[in-house]
Amino acid sequence: MSGRTLFEKIWSDHVIVVSPQGEELLYVDFNLINEGQSFLAFDQLRIEGRSARRPQQHLAVTDHYLPTINRALGTAAMPNAEIRRVVEMLDENAQAFGLPHVGWFHADQGIAHVIASELGITQPGMLITCNDSHTATNGACGALAVPIGGGNQLRHVVATQTVWLKKPKTLRISIDGTLPKAVTAKDVILSIIGAIGVGGATGYAVEYAGAAIRAMTMEGRLTICNMSIEAGARIGMVAPDDTTFQFLSGRRNAPRGADWDKALAHWSALPSDADAAFDRELSFDAAKLSPMVTWGTSPEDCSPVDGVVPDPSDIADADRRRHVERALDYMQLKPATPLEQIAVDRVFIGSCTNSRIEDLRAAAQVLKGRRAEVPGMVSPGSTAVKRQAEAEGLDKIFVAAGLEWRDSGCSMCNGSNGEIVQPGERCASTTNRNFEGRQGRGALTHIMSPAMVAAAAVHGRLADVRRLEPATGV
Amino acid sequence: MLAFTVLTAIAAPLEIAKIDTGMILPGRYMRRHRRPGHDYGEAFLYDLRFDHKGQPRPDFVLNEPAYRDAKILVTDSDFGCGSSREGAAFAVMDYGLRALIGPSFGEIFQVNCIQNGILAVTLTDAAIADLWRQLRARPGATVTIDLPNQSVIAPDGTAHVFDISELRKDRLVRGIDDIDETLSYLDKIESFEAARRAAFPWLPTARRE
Repeated sequence: MSGRTLFEKIWSDHVIVVSPQGEELLYVDFNLINEGQSFLAFDQLRIEGRSARRPQQHLAVTDHYLPTINRALGTAAMPNAEIRRVVEMLDENAQAFGLPHVGWFHADQGIAHVIASELGITQPGMLITCNDSHTATNGACGALAVPIGGGNQLRHVVATQTVWLKKPKTLRISIDGTLPKAVTAKDVILSIIGAIGVGGATGYAVEYAGAAIRAMTMEGRLTICNMSIEAGARIGMVAPDDTTFQFLSGRRNAPRGADWDKALAHWSALPSDADAAFDRELSFDAAKLSPMVTWGTSPEDCSPVDGVVPDPSDIADADRRRHVERALDYMQLKPATPLEQIAVDRVFIGSCTNSRIEDLRAAAQVLKGRRAEVPGMVSPGSTAVKRQAEAEGLDKIFVAAGLEWRDSGCSMCNGSNGEIVQPGERCASTTNRNFEGRQGRGALTHIMSPAMVAAAAVHGRLADVRRLEPATGV
Repeated sequence: MLAFTVLTAIAAPLEIAKIDTGMILPGRYMRRHRRPGHDYGEAFLYDLRFDHKGQPRPDFVLNEPAYRDAKILVTDSDFGCGSSREGAAFAVMDYGLRALIGPSFGEIFQVNCIQNGILAVTLTDAAIADLWRQLRARPGATVTIDLPNQSVIAPDGTAHVFDISELRKDRLVRGIDDIDETLSYLDKIESFEAARRAAFPWLPTARRE
């Protein structure tokens, strides 16, 4: 028998029913719920008179609609009645269905995909669901983490603790070699998406592998898995190793004592066997990667920062040309403009992609002793990250540079909470999507790594962090 | 869930690639409750259908009189990529569409559609281009989607076969909801769960019920 992949091992561990019709019923070890549109699921469950089958295997997390400022004002910090209502509804639904809830004044408050691993909930070998497309973030810990719809599918998971899924094919993406200086996890995943497109991994469960992934911190792996969906993949994962185990050790929900030893034995057997076959394999040479920025209206529209805006007339593929023409029109960019000449109006550092302590350290390192040319805000991924950053003095660096130091939440990534980029305003952002209107109607988004956003802030334009002169004020 | 068998309806060509779920249901509409008379139909593709002043964009396909009663949309590549918001599927439904035909879809969105009774089927690029051409040549022409026979019939009578999982086809044709099906396996779920808890006692479950 040939070997099995990490994905296949975890998948088969969770299969309850194999339907002859092509889908399998899988057990959900843990489900995260955000306020998003989960009210659609709970409304329906109420109408049907159903309850949560295993309430303790869920964690409701308020993250999308919370303001990141003026929280001490209580609900007055949410003057928009619709926004306030969404936040209140998750409070009510979590209580009514008996679900543990990290609400907005909870000590653990943060973005679901940041706090799940922070609290040690995300462990190797688990099957985790969440009504959010960035659920694959949790795959960085060696879990099988699957996004589900916030209506019908969430309702199903709450009522049954299971999910029907069609088994995806497997794709291994190897990042071989060593990343050059200033090239980060964000640049790796943008390079992958740029190469294969937003639909390039649709239908696949992706395992990220290779020396550059093995050498990467958990924060970096979380960033990479986070953006799997931007390549079309619902599932992204990294095999658990010593980096994973050290990260988990001592966390609140991590196993202890004899359980830790048993867990470690189980986790250590999860990585793909040496002779495991993948349906598809891709590899990238880490040494050839550069800091990336997006210039268009899809995450695949990205280039190394020392490049130029593409010229649609150079694009042979008619569909691609049509997309790029539309993207440049929306982004108000002219072909052949050097990317480093694109002036920005504001910056945003945050989101489930890039708001962990390592991300904030990278941005602060660039900003230390410098002033931002444009306004911007920094929103840490969780209250714990915020406390840690403040203990390290990072908040003072951001504030001294002229940026706002905010509370934790999804914030300007998609502006659910009303914190949006204004129409026609151009934002350098550490977030995950640059679709038309993502950060607000008419907003022009360029996504990049935290250090690159910091460099853009310092210059008031897109800038190559590799060429930043040492700060004078240090 | 609405059952889906055979649908013959006006189809509209939407030749814009990579329309993400945030364009299908803009974030600002996601705060809304969805109820009869106040559903997500208005929000569907709002920023493409309307300008900044809320006026319909006359050059947008769904605003052309011939396509007003369309129940089928022939989309471009990667339709519904991005966010997992299930409200995007509800926006499609509430706008009055029953089916989407395209070269590729965002996977979460496609599942959300199919689990809510909206058929989203994939055809080849060539088949889609041919459908667009025919629908542009004869605005208001109808397309037939025959789910039991897994076939899309173009205005000129050309039939294109599509793939769909047997399970989804069966549940769509019968209008069967997943939960009822799942709960028929409750004894299996319970024994699986008991075995899993015994084997992996450290799994993060706050309290054992």
